[in-house]
Amino acid sequence: MNDIVIEGRGLKRYYRRGSETVKALDGVDISIRAGEIVSILGPSGSGKTTLINVLSCLDAPTEGTLLVAGKSVAGLPEEKLVEVRRGTLGFVFQQFALLPTLTVIENVELPLTFLDRRVDRQRTLHILDTVGLMDRASHLPRELSGGQMQRVAIARALIGEPRILVADEPTGNLDTKTGEAIIDLFKLLAHEEGIAILLTTHNPAFGYEAGRIITLSDGRIVKEEIGAPTTSGEGENLSPGASVNAMFRSLTRRVRTD
Amino acid sequence: MNQRIQTGPYVFRRYVSLAAKNLRRRPVRTGLTVAGVALAVTVAVSLGGFMLGYRGAVEKSINMLGFQVMIMAKGCPYEAATMMLKGGTGLLYLPADTYDRVKSDPEIETITPIFVGVAQKQGSSIRDDAGASNFTVVNGIDVRGYRVMKPWTVFKKGSGYDNGRWFAPDASDEVVLGFEAAEYEQRKVGDTFYASITPAGQPDPVMHEFKVVGVLDRTGTQDDGTVFLPIDVARRYFGRPDQLTILGIKLKQFNAFKMREFETRWLKLPEVQVVGLQQVKNTLVSLVATAQTMIAAVAAIAIIVALIGVVNTILMSVYERTAEIGIMKALGARRESIFQLIWLETVMICLAGGIAGSLAAILGSGLVERAIKALADLGVAGSVVNITPAVIVYAVSGAVALGFFSGLYPAWRASSMRPVEAIGKGA
Repeated sequence: MNDIVIEGRGLKRYYRRGSETVKALDGVDISIRAGEIVSILGPSGSGKTTLINVLSCLDAPTEGTLLVAGKSVAGLPEEKLVEVRRGTLGFVFQQFALLPTLTVIENVELPLTFLDRRVDRQRTLHILDTVGLMDRASHLPRELSGGQMQRVAIARALIGEPRILVADEPTGNLDTKTGEAIIDLFKLLAHEEGIAILLTTHNPAFGYEAGRIITLSDGRIVKEEIGAPTTSGEGENLSPGASVNAMFRSLTRRVRTD
Repeated sequence: MNQRIQTGPYVFRRYVSLAAKNLRRRPVRTGLTVAGVALAVTVAVSLGGFMLGYRGAVEKSINMLGFQVMIMAKGCPYEAATMMLKGGTGLLYLPADTYDRVKSDPEIETITPIFVGVAQKQGSSIRDDAGASNFTVVNGIDVRGYRVMKPWTVFKKGSGYDNGRWFAPDASDEVVLGFEAAEYEQRKVGDTFYASITPAGQPDPVMHEFKVVGVLDRTGTQDDGTVFLPIDVARRYFGRPDQLTILGIKLKQFNAFKMREFETRWLKLPEVQVVGLQQVKNTLVSLVATAQTMIAAVAAIAIIVALIGVVNTILMSVYERTAEIGIMKALGARRESIFQLIWLETVMICLAGGIAGSLAAILGSGLVERAIKALADLGVAGSVVNITPAVIVYAVSGAVALGFFSGLYPAWRASSMRPVEAIGKGA
């Protein structure tokens, strides 16, 4: 559990806006280990999204060194960055970003098309079961609630068996109870699967559920705290050896009716 | 990691499925774009069918005349030729002795005199419109020469049509009907046929009663709508006993040199012109080629408009899906994957348009044929629109090529998006 999957040193990301230079990131040092949940807090414009874009190889830093899954990625063009992302990173977005004409199961399997991997329907169903959506497999996104759509997005992120899961405001469009269930699911994935989870949130209550909390301001880390242990907050009802499936079913029981 | 890496047809099928579902997202817009392509393809297929069909119809009509050269009274040779091919009025006549003078030419293999007249059918029909008057082309022929010229001519078989035969040379009350003439009049062998013929120089028509002794099988030429009489009888009834309309001639050796020699020999006769049917064929085809070029220009414009429509639709779709494309890239889609997906969508639109347009052209070919014939005198009988499988293959291939071409820019735009910016724009 001590493997470092992301390590950035002196990360800077500057933009030009007219004659002005915007320092979205201004010298960030960060490392994330497998199985760790790191939440990034900070007000709007503090550089949260820029940081996770850089750390997840969606954007390149202006300066600094960055290792993702052991590969040096700083300065790589998009054609090279996509190769790092493929199979290493999974993404969950605030707006869910599901394709409206694809069913739940098709949305979940979508990354396999781009990863040139054969669909293993049993495995897809297993992941859907994990996120508690077996009974929604053939539904279209418009037939789902916000929480269900976010769980589909998580299942989609997991189908490629990523080592790192990046979630930008994953609870931003969800009510508190559903948001809690999503955070608990992240904890389970980190704990059981050893997936490193990097998330941003406006909600400090969710943020402090992470194992480590990093607060940004003006593109710099201004505070780093140790948060909750990487286990489910509902652990009192779960045996230590319970599967992710069983645990999540328990966790999501309360939001099934949303 | 039990997920096997896949390439080739499996991945392609997944892309096709994804592209099809993307297109279904905006069914009206997709449908309208497909309709635009289909319209252009319909025009192109109809034009292709017309080009082929007309050329074939001219070829067939002229070949089915059975002779290579016509001698006729001076006038517009093409008008005369189309009259023979399609029927018509405004006939000019030759002195009957022209036949006797020309038939001795050593280069002639076969010669047959034809007298053409126009009769009025009045009260002759058993149809509901029995009182209506209409016209029919009457060909007075010499059966012996005519059969040599047109050995393929046979009598229709079947109930009411068996025992068909040619009339005797001097039979003044026997008639043979072309296939369509018999169908229109609902006449069979043994029935009575009436025709009003106005003799030359007379003010009033004379009603003649004939017995149908034969009905010809379909030839696809002007003969189908023609009524045949013995040449001498026809000349007598039309009041022109010493005249004929055309001498149809087949030369022993037919080439440009022999044709010119023959023409030079017989142009010395007063009031006579010698018309080579190859020349008529070329002229008819080139005359209509001008119209075809104009239609081709319209088709080209329709194709350009369709192309712009396709590019516009796919570009709009790409812009609408900016965030989605960014997310696909985040999920692992390479640049070429996005290019392939958007390109496939474009090709599928054009393929659907190609198929729909071809079907529309096939289903509407009868309508197009009627419209062309109503708008222009093409100078030939029979079908002038012939949509062959080759035309369809070319049209659908062309539509797919259109898709390949028009998809390039939108696909390039989509594949060039940087994921971080694309996702940001959609937020």
